[in-house]
Amino acid sequence: MPTGLATYIARRLLIVPVVLLIVSFVAFALGRLTPSDYVEIQAGPRAQPETIERIREQRGLNDPIPVQYVRYMGNFVTGDFGTSAQYRLPVDDVILPRLWVTLQINVTVIVLTWLIAIPIGTLAALKRSSFLDPLMIGIFVFFASVPVLVSTPILQWLLASEVSLLPSGGWAETEYFGVEMGLLSKKAILPIMLMTLPGVAGLARYMRTQVIEVMDMEFVRTAQAKGLRADVVVTRHVMRNALLPIVTLLGFEMSALFAGSIFVETLLGIPGIGQYTYEAVGTRDYDGIMAVVILGSSMFVMAMLVVDVAYGFIDPRIRLGEGLGG
Amino acid sequence: MESRNLILVLTGIAVVTILIIGGLTVALVAGGGDDDNGGPSAGDDDGEVDLGERIEGELRLFGPDPITLDPACASDAGSAEYIVEVFGGLVSFDQELNVIADIAQDWDISDDGTVYTFNLRSNVLFHDNSRPVSAEDFKFSMERALNPDTQSTVGEVYLDDIAGAEEFARGQADEVTGIRVVDPQTLEITLAEPNRVFLEKLTYPTAFVVDRNEVGDSTCFEGNWTLTPNGSGPFKLAEWDLGQKIVLEANDRYHLDPMPSLERVTYVLSGGSAFVMYENDEIDVTGIGITNIESVRDSISDEYREGPSLDVYYLGFNTQEEPFNDPAVRNALSMAIDREFLASEFLLDLVVPAKGILPPGIEGYNEELPAIPFSPEDAQDLLDEAGGPDILEDVTVLTSGQGAAPSDILQAITTMWEQNLGVTITIEQEDFGLFLRDIDEGNFQMFSLGWIADYPDPQNFLEIKLHSESSNNEALYSNPEVDALLDQAAEEQDDEARLELYRQAEELIVQDMPWIPLYHAKSSYLVKPWVEGFEVPPFVIPNLRYVTINR
Amino acid sequence: MSTFEAVGRLEVGRPASSGVRLLRRIARRPVAVAAIVIIVIIYGAGILAPLVAPYSFTEADLLNRNAGIGGDHLLGTDNLGRDLLSRAIWSARTTVIISVLSLLAGGLAMGVTLGLLAGYLRGTVDAFIMRMAEIFYSVPTLLLMLIINASLRTRVEDWGEWLDDKTRQGWIEDYASYFLVLVVLSFFGWPGIARIVRSQVLALRESAYVVAARASGASTPRIVFRHLLPNVSNLLIVALTLSLGGFALAEVGLSFLGIGISGHPTFGLMISEAASGPGSITYVRAHPLVILVPGFFISMLVLAFNLLGDQLTDVLSPRRR
Repeated sequence: MPTGLATYIARRLLIVPVVLLIVSFVAFALGRLTPSDYVEIQAGPRAQPETIERIREQRGLNDPIPVQYVRYMGNFVTGDFGTSAQYRLPVDDVILPRLWVTLQINVTVIVLTWLIAIPIGTLAALKRSSFLDPLMIGIFVFFASVPVLVSTPILQWLLASEVSLLPSGGWAETEYFGVEMGLLSKKAILPIMLMTLPGVAGLARYMRTQVIEVMDMEFVRTAQAKGLRADVVVTRHVMRNALLPIVTLLGFEMSALFAGSIFVETLLGIPGIGQYTYEAVGTRDYDGIMAVVILGSSMFVMAMLVVDVAYGFIDPRIRLGEGLGG
Repeated sequence: MESRNLILVLTGIAVVTILIIGGLTVALVAGGGDDDNGGPSAGDDDGEVDLGERIEGELRLFGPDPITLDPACASDAGSAEYIVEVFGGLVSFDQELNVIADIAQDWDISDDGTVYTFNLRSNVLFHDNSRPVSAEDFKFSMERALNPDTQSTVGEVYLDDIAGAEEFARGQADEVTGIRVVDPQTLEITLAEPNRVFLEKLTYPTAFVVDRNEVGDSTCFEGNWTLTPNGSGPFKLAEWDLGQKIVLEANDRYHLDPMPSLERVTYVLSGGSAFVMYENDEIDVTGIGITNIESVRDSISDEYREGPSLDVYYLGFNTQEEPFNDPAVRNALSMAIDREFLASEFLLDLVVPAKGILPPGIEGYNEELPAIPFSPEDAQDLLDEAGGPDILEDVTVLTSGQGAAPSDILQAITTMWEQNLGVTITIEQEDFGLFLRDIDEGNFQMFSLGWIADYPDPQNFLEIKLHSESSNNEALYSNPEVDALLDQAAEEQDDEARLELYRQAEELIVQDMPWIPLYHAKSSYLVKPWVEGFEVPPFVIPNLRYVTINR
Repeated sequence: MSTFEAVGRLEVGRPASSGVRLLRRIARRPVAVAAIVIIVIIYGAGILAPLVAPYSFTEADLLNRNAGIGGDHLLGTDNLGRDLLSRAIWSARTTVIISVLSLLAGGLAMGVTLGLLAGYLRGTVDAFIMRMAEIFYSVPTLLLMLIINASLRTRVEDWGEWLDDKTRQGWIEDYASYFLVLVVLSFFGWPGIARIVRSQVLALRESAYVVAARASGASTPRIVFRHLLPNVSNLLIVALTLSLGGFALAEVGLSFLGIGISGHPTFGLMISEAASGPGSITYVRAHPLVILVPGFFISMLVLAFNLLGDQLTDVLSPRRR
């Protein structure tokens, strides 16, 4: 068993740098193919075309794309992530605080989604012949069907302006035990709510299916027949077996949340990585975009790898069957 | 299946989770939470958001994240807003837009108008109190802005009058010969030719002084000293949480009167609508746009302030190419636009309809200029004489933007053309950089743009934008008569005569209609009653040291 | 695109129910019927937009801006005085075009074909296809779409113009943005379907009748299309139903990011015209209709597809009846 798993992990690990190289090159090349670059965009209405051209030359923006790419990656591996053109500051100074903001929101959202979806999904499965099942799932399917771009302005209008319950947006951090935290501020409520609700349905629905499937399995029937109490059966056997496949959704959930962050952060004016990404493409913040691409891709790849490996570890059949991700 | 207990447990978990979230929400909402300033506060009974106690003498504003705080590099108003408070130059504008002595105590101008000798104050220190600002610092700062290695796009634009600036900026000289340090307190600047607006150009951040020990040889793009800039302006940068807030603190050794009276100024950089934040008492001053002006006029109108903004929004033509090389066609399009309707109905009086190029509030603004007529019939006739609607087939108007839909105003204008002239003019959006390039290269038929004054002088509009030899003349407008008047005005020493020349030039330009001037914006603000001394600035000037908080 | 993943595991290896039986079973479910009715209404209005829309989508009634419900304009007007209902109907038309084309190109053509190939041929083909899918999964999709749009939009429009000149047509450039959206949606949409199909095919591969077919000398395409495809169709119906809702939803997001259709109204365009940033709240507050009208239609449409997907899952899965 250990050797099999080891080769599996090794093989999967080997793919990571390849994926990153391909993705980063494609993103880099596409980025440089934009019809204008950050020097031109930021030059201001009075700058002379010759000055702009000279600065582009000085900054190496006229070099062939592969040359620029190699130079960028060379700096990257030595820990120099370049300059955020949008702020004229080193990329890490700009990105790290924003990453922290988005992480606080998104991790909370994932935890809440699971805390709501798993009981709801299980309940729906256990009560599948009653009205509770369609009702519970239906409510959350509705939340999942309203685009965040619609729900955000509407809730903003109702909660922040009409009744003045919440701030209309933004983000504020206060230091607790040496860590800057924004979660305990009222400003965190709206984004977390907006991002949690649409995610519940998918997970709950999946959980419901899993529980139903497991409950129909032979060993559960046997346990029931042996006279074990129903709740014991469900917690010991059903929940455990049903939860496993759900873990695999983590990777997808992360990438879906990242997409959600772009919208919610932009509409609420939250200085997270999503808002930055949106602005960075508009301002042609090349190095900033690349940092987000590489960071994002590595996180997604690693998340999927961890999930696959964990899954393979728990259920060796998967490994032999080429892996879930494969 | 008997699983009642389990269902109870699961229901319990779901309910508890929702209760916890709900409870937290309620607790935070009722308890006031923490937010910006820390320290809980008693919940308000009126249900308004209360964002914690405020600090005495603190002014809270909403602001954008600056692109850069480096004075040598900033080319946008968003950055300049902070730079003029944190840094200082030889001269600056006061609230009435007079050029006043800043770090320079006084100055002499030679009779031929080419040599400026500035005597610096001896009591101006950098914010860290390490040393006084010297003439050497100014020479360093201006040369740095001009140095090609700094990669500034604006250095040459604002400092090109200085003798030797161009050679230095092209890398053909080791220093700017026109900037001479006579002694630590005396700076002598020699111009290549006399220029009436030189002092005004020096108020722009490009000529501000930076601490050479801190800045070193950093470029406009690399280096992070701007996170802790050591300026000499009325306020110090105390904190810059990227994307979240900028905190300025008063410089209590400031050299001009009045000294800043505010303890500190907090700019909220993140967040929802500035207007709603103002309503909820999170900020003390907010600008107003079209979307919220209605509610302002109904409710909080005594907090409403407005003033002119020295700008003009216009549609430019390519005056060198068919069909817009014919002034009749240009006038026809202009006459088919109902500016009054646009200004009052569409932009809800947040703008003044334009009669000419110069905005109200600027020296030389011509009150007597008649309004540009709105007359669909005359427009139709003009167009028919010039060749009929067919010559406007396939015409596009270029605008910058990458969002989904072009601006409503532009769409309203094309609608007016369609309704009044029966011509369909397409709006084409391009990203900003490409847009500017296409305009520079004359690769357009029409474009939509605005121009905001750098300094309050007609020269900044008429000569820079419409002289046939100016590089900023995107419309490629060329009228020898206008050129002659502008040249004459540039050399005229008598103020009244000079303004008269500009008036004549403007009248000719309006007849030729190389641009369709649309409107001039107003600066509209809401200011809380406890904020005193806040004047609505027509463009970016150091403004905060006049403000006091009184509650 | 995670809707693909949310599809429950369906029973494998059952021949597809016959169409009539399926319909009869669906007809017994009120939720499913309601969902179908909503879809038919919105899609129908969209397809018939030129006939049913009371106004043209560009007609700006400048004297009647931001009108409320009732009056000349049933559901009010936007900031330029354009009829919101008409624009919503024309938006539905764009949604139909975009989602059906994306479904055909991305879901069926790319997703199903690649999934079938990977599952059946295995080996290097499988490894290659699945590595590609993995790459598409591991990029921050929206960010890449943004970059693609920023760099290719002008070019695609130029190509359209060039084609217009060459072929003496006038409409190609207008539809260049459709092309871009379509490419983006199908490019990033196929891996979900491909993975589902592949995993089913893997399971079916060794089933008795496929082995039998192979033994009797059936060619690979024949086995794939005659034997494997029908057997994964249950699952496909559900996944594709859900993906129609997914594409409609995706269009809203793309339009907001500026990767939208130009020249024709879309739900995303209407929504982002109403709310483009934090400051829009005061506009929405003053004129809620501008967001409520497009928001209502798009939400109902997506909800209908989601519910229908659920219902189909139940109907097609034998255990859950």
